[in-house]
Amino acid sequence: MGLLSILRKLKSTPDQEVRILLLGLDNAGKTTLLKQLASEDISHITPTQGFNIKSVQSQGFKLNVWDIGGQRKIRPYWRNYFENTDILIYVIDSADRKRFEETGQELAELLDEEKLSGVPVLIFANKQDLLTAAPASEIAEGLNLHTIRDRVWQIQSCSALSGEGVQIKDASPARLCSPEGKDDGEAKFSKGTAGSVASSPCSSSEGLVWGLVSSSACRGIFHPSRRFDGEVSSLALGER
Amino acid sequence: MFVSLWGFLYSNYFRFWLKWILRLLTRKCELQRIFDGSKEGARRTLSVEHSLDSSKNKVLRNAVHVNKAEVEKCVRNVMKEKKIEQKNTGFKTNLHICLLQISGYKKLYLNVESLRKVPYDSDNEEHEEQLIELWNLLMPHENLKARITKQWCDIGFQGDDPKTDFRGMGMLGLVNLVYFSKHYTNEARQVLSHSNHPKLGYSYAIVGINLTEMAYSLLKNGALKSHLYNMVSGLPQMEHFHQFYCYLVSEFDKFWFEEEPESIMHFNQYREKFHEKIKGLLLDYDVILTLKDTKKP
Repeated sequence: MGLLSILRKLKSTPDQEVRILLLGLDNAGKTTLLKQLASEDISHITPTQGFNIKSVQSQGFKLNVWDIGGQRKIRPYWRNYFENTDILIYVIDSADRKRFEETGQELAELLDEEKLSGVPVLIFANKQDLLTAAPASEIAEGLNLHTIRDRVWQIQSCSALSGEGVQIKDASPARLCSPEGKDDGEAKFSKGTAGSVASSPCSSSEGLVWGLVSSSACRGIFHPSRRFDGEVSSLALGER
Repeated sequence: MFVSLWGFLYSNYFRFWLKWILRLLTRKCELQRIFDGSKEGARRTLSVEHSLDSSKNKVLRNAVHVNKAEVEKCVRNVMKEKKIEQKNTGFKTNLHICLLQISGYKKLYLNVESLRKVPYDSDNEEHEEQLIELWNLLMPHENLKARITKQWCDIGFQGDDPKTDFRGMGMLGLVNLVYFSKHYTNEARQVLSHSNHPKLGYSYAIVGINLTEMAYSLLKNGALKSHLYNMVSGLPQMEHFHQFYCYLVSEFDKFWFEEEPESIMHFNQYREKFHEKIKGLLLDYDVILTLKDTKKP
């Protein structure tokens, strides 16, 4: 379930091919994330000119992930890749505070794009392995994510470098999101994650859970039919 | 299945008997036959490397990893093992050269790899100096207004601070860029000006770092052996790797404008095509890939 479960909801078509668009500023970690998702070596990465694409098979879904270069010069080309996007993944370098404003602007512009209207957005607060990284909650606040009302969204801490927070896991939301069920889920995840699960406001029956991630995936989701309670997930390094 | 069975039988049994029969017929060991049958260069050195690598004799097998200082001793030992007279100077010289090339290639890879593993560090003065040197070489008529400035985009970095662009290539990427600009200054400036083409332009420095990755991976997987064995009759040096990089940058620039891609967004597709082309060239035993018509570095 998780990302996969939301996909099943969104995609009633039988082909089960999913187009995921990876965007973000240069040096945010998009290509590293892409390679992590595809379980490839991440030690020889160079800046992306143009784009990379990889297909990842998971639970009957074929995820076609498009990683587009983030350098300012080629951002005008981003729009060429909007069409038919099922999910937008926006990657932020959580340690690059000087560029929070710039990344916020780019994200806001993306959310205004007609071709991306209603497309669910998953924001990765990347580079949580760095000591200077801002926590996801701070980034969510800075970006005014709570004002997003027209789509499903979520912010997720991760470290594309270590792989924490980015694995495609088939976590069961029923077990992970309900406070009673936390014992079942706890063993699966690294320290610090289980705690954030227990108080999760998300009702598992709705099934609107991002699963690229894991347990805490449900915490920041805004569902149009439900009031957003302002919580965000912080998975990878929960005790920071 | 059949192929792998054959491969197993060949390398474990048949090869031995085949060599034994040939030895009886020609009264020469495999190494001697290689030296007699091929002239100095990649064909010979690759054959010697293969022969030593697949030998059952430990002295021979270890010879491909010999240190520069011990090559002479190693040659003597191999000759002793193969019962070749020490006064056979032809054999001695030939084997000496081959061992320098073979072990030198491995050493070169280690050196390149260790430079790649040094991340660019903006607190390191030496790193910073090289970065500034790169600017001055490429843009002699324009001063950098600050260390962090949008001007870096003019030579094809992504943003206002190049330090994040070296990534997985570390200092190897920068040293390559500086080498090209320093030793082939005119060519480098010319390529840079091409890269500013309004329609077919690309980011010079970023593409350069991508080509460092290409040169590095060709070295790593052994594809560069043919070129280096032909090029250097002895120990290949870091300089030879840099020179190959310069060749790649210059050739890629030509290739890019010949292909006329729709936009920079198609970079990876053409990069792959170019990569295949270079791999194809390196399959030729007589290949030497160097930049021509330039002042000697």
